[in-house]
Amino acid sequence: MNDPRDCGNPDALMSYLYEDGPADERRAFEAHLLACARCAAEVASLRAVREEMAAWAPPETVLDFRIVRDAAPANRRWGWMSAMPAWAQLAAASLVVGVAAGLSGLDIQYGKDGLRVQTGWDRPAESRPGAAVAVAPAAGSEAPWRADLAALKEEMRAEPRQPSAAPETVPVSTASRGGRTMTDEEWLARVRQLIEASETRTQREMALRLAEVVRDIDTQRRADMRRVADGLGVLEGRTGAVTAQQREMMNYLLRVSQR
Amino acid sequence: MRGGQAGPPERQETHGERVDMTVTDEELVARSIAGDTDSFNQLILRWERPIYALAYRQLGREEDARDVVQDAFLRAFRALPGFKGEAKFSSWLYRITLNLCRDVMRRARRAPFVPTPEGVDIADLAPAESAPAESIDDVVARKDLGRHVARAMSRLPEEQRSAIILKEYHGLTFQEIAELQGCPLSTVKTRLYQGLTVLRRELEGRGTGPSRAESRTP
Repeated sequence: MNDPRDCGNPDALMSYLYEDGPADERRAFEAHLLACARCAAEVASLRAVREEMAAWAPPETVLDFRIVRDAAPANRRWGWMSAMPAWAQLAAASLVVGVAAGLSGLDIQYGKDGLRVQTGWDRPAESRPGAAVAVAPAAGSEAPWRADLAALKEEMRAEPRQPSAAPETVPVSTASRGGRTMTDEEWLARVRQLIEASETRTQREMALRLAEVVRDIDTQRRADMRRVADGLGVLEGRTGAVTAQQREMMNYLLRVSQR
Repeated sequence: MRGGQAGPPERQETHGERVDMTVTDEELVARSIAGDTDSFNQLILRWERPIYALAYRQLGREEDARDVVQDAFLRAFRALPGFKGEAKFSSWLYRITLNLCRDVMRRARRAPFVPTPEGVDIADLAPAESAPAESIDDVVARKDLGRHVARAMSRLPEEQRSAIILKEYHGLTFQEIAELQGCPLSTVKTRLYQGLTVLRRELEGRGTGPSRAESRTP
């Protein structure tokens, strides 16, 4: 059956050429080809194109991609660390060291005796890093409670020996309370107050140090990022220039070869 | 399938590694999803050549094609848990590959690279790639024709080129191509017809095509 609607119909032509599609449609087109020389020539020429296309083969290449199972699954626990950028790892390490040093009261001194490292909070006040660093610039703010503490110590030592000591022997700090001997409750309250003040100060110091560490890390990170960005910009510029040169060369070769 | 591209069912060995063809793709996919990496490697062995051929014909550059193959399998492996099996594994892989090729072309903002038609290197032609009966002259002519086809293909719009490659070299059905390209079946046929017509003109224009004047009605 020769259906004139098949003439020049790409749908039917492609189905017939590739033998893909409804069988009755292909049979109908085959019948049409017997009567239509134009369509028969079209099919023949497209078949010839398909034969020529077989000459285009990709070059041989070595493909050896394989999915490899992780050899050390035990290390996966810390695997996320390797995904962190170097600056973040450094920052985390610095933070940990800083906090540990702060908590342990680390004191590093370098003098005539060489390098000396001490830890702990029970050292004499003058040898503690916090004291050494903070007393000088903030003498005005620390002196009162340190003087009070010293006076308190003196008072505690003196009291058992001189229960009825004269008012003039009482240290300056207690004289300000009216010159009378303090009761046990008052002593206790005073000691608590001093301990609280000490704790508050320690916390403040710790927070200050942490803030400094974080600020330093942030500054370093910004500087590194800027350096990396600059480096990438330079690389990009160089690569672009090389690529442009290669393109020019390829175009030239292409033109020469086509002559 | 054409152009010397043997598809997975015919291929038994790749680089000394035997491909087990008794297991279907679906079974290997199921095992891979269950965590069997070796099964996925079997899938790679089966499909790496066709995927490479597809990427090469789309991009025209061997290095880019190899990168795309690696990327395609890596993406497939990562996305495997989400693969529901609604389409064939190979169709899914073709889709990933075509998307990657599109990304590469978009990134490079270039037409597919056409290998420079430099002088034919006889040393390149000698290997066992050619059939024993094929003479050097035949090999040279075939290589030359291959370059012309590549150049003509590079001038086609991307949709036409993809349709022709998938049909001609990978043997996909019209329906499969329509699903991959996300268009009606009739559009695929039109793209094929238009693409083949342009190719015919290009090849004739270069004097490489067989004369068809005698077979045409005036």
